Amino acid sequence: MIEKVKFFLTLTGNNLWQFRTRNLFSVTIICLSFLTVGIFLSLSNNLRDTARQLSNNLTVAFFLDKELPAAAVQALRDEVGQPAFIEEVRFVPPEEALEKFRASFPELGDIIANIKANPFPPSIEARVRSKVSASGNVLEFVDTMRGRAGVTDVQFNQDWVEKMQGFSRLAGAVGAFLGGILLLTSFFIISNVVKLNVFARKNEIEILRLVGSTNLFIRIPFWLEGITLGLLGSLLSLGLLFVVIRLFPFYVGSSLGALQDLLSFRYPDLAQALGLLVGGAATGFIGSATSVSKFLKA
Amino acid sequence: MIELFHIGKQYQKPFWALSDVSLRIKDGDFYFVTGPSGSGKTTLLKTIFRELLPTEGQILINGINILRIPESKIYRLRRRMGIVFQDFRLMFHRTVFENVAVPLQVIGVPRKEIRRRVFATLQKVNLHQKMWELPARLSYGEQQRVAIARAVVNNPEIILADEPTGNLDPELAFEIISLFKDINKQGATVIIGSHDRELIRHFGDNILFLQKGKIVGKEGRA
Repeated sequence: MIEKVKFFLTLTGNNLWQFRTRNLFSVTIICLSFLTVGIFLSLSNNLRDTARQLSNNLTVAFFLDKELPAAAVQALRDEVGQPAFIEEVRFVPPEEALEKFRASFPELGDIIANIKANPFPPSIEARVRSKVSASGNVLEFVDTMRGRAGVTDVQFNQDWVEKMQGFSRLAGAVGAFLGGILLLTSFFIISNVVKLNVFARKNEIEILRLVGSTNLFIRIPFWLEGITLGLLGSLLSLGLLFVVIRLFPFYVGSSLGALQDLLSFRYPDLAQALGLLVGGAATGFIGSATSVSKFLKA
Repeated sequence: MIELFHIGKQYQKPFWALSDVSLRIKDGDFYFVTGPSGSGKTTLLKTIFRELLPTEGQILINGINILRIPESKIYRLRRRMGIVFQDFRLMFHRTVFENVAVPLQVIGVPRKEIRRRVFATLQKVNLHQKMWELPARLSYGEQQRVAIARAVVNNPEIILADEPTGNLDPELAFEIISLFKDINKQGATVIIGSHDRELIRHFGDNILFLQKGKIVGKEGRA
């Protein structure tokens, strides 16, 4: 058995080397297809993780009138802290809000410097306990507080969570769509490359049949070739994805500002990486199997 | 025993490449099929190893109608045969050793045994010193000997050879037919398609004469 495996592996290796140029072309196409899938997958991963983090860290910001007396601020702060689903309440003075803005948007520093007065109002930030989503109680509480005197505006990041989840789903769908098209392309390319290999070895196949070879004996090396091409392509795409993820922050620098966190990539997890590899192998196998069986039937 | 009953083969209407050919070849026979070019020698041999299906008639090998063997089981028939093709059909990107080893590899002979048998067979055809060469670097005659070595390496019951000496000088041609004779003495049935009268006169126990696809004469047990 081991001897047979060795025999087929050697034969496959020799055959791959014999038609190395066209096999390299095939590997490149598979690699690019899987790289596209991988890029969208990692983008989707990042958006999904951000959405999860936000939903585990829901905060409500109550912006206050700048002229509101300290006693009224304290009363509002007490009221905000009363419900059980509020974990923490914090008063954010205008100076802290300004500093936070400067830190988040360094590229807008000039604009801030030109404005003499601090444009940010004081606010009360309430953090909702983790695992408590935007239930009816939270929304009702937010609405009640919105009507209180001295509260000028309310910002609840539930909207962001929903948007983020939407983006994550969109990135996943775009990835699946583009990836699907490209995988289909890879499938046809592998299929045609193997078909060319089969035709190039037409005489050899004929000889094998005439000396008493079974169809399985003829097929196995071609299947192994397809699987190897698919695996190599997807493995290479994982390597390139790693490089893209590492280099992306250097390439964009700080030009994306606050969006950088959202548009950054996250490495695929082990299951996803294995999924890409298995997908590559399966694409290669199906592509070669269809070509060989068509030829052997002919 | 190989039995052919009223075999006819038509590639294109209305011409018959073979017409009403019936013959019986006993186990261990040494048989020549001869005739001018286009007489049907190659077609006859091809129908015996079922590379071609006859248009009419039946072929029995050891009582089994080979025309009824499903395509997926043909390998069983061919494993019992050694075939020397007129055009050699060598794999030009594989070495002499690899070409000769193929019939053994497809039946799963262990590597050590393959090495031993291939070397011994190449010694018989005097090509053991060129076993790592590619066939393209060999002369025509040497390529023919590789094809012969491949046909006999697995000690087949039946050897079919289509013009096996066509490109060899007379001396080597005699050596090659002697080699087939030796294999025949060990029990294999040998059928050779040839138009080399000198060889046939010298070695021909049983001779079948073909012309325009028809049997026009027999000698010996033929």
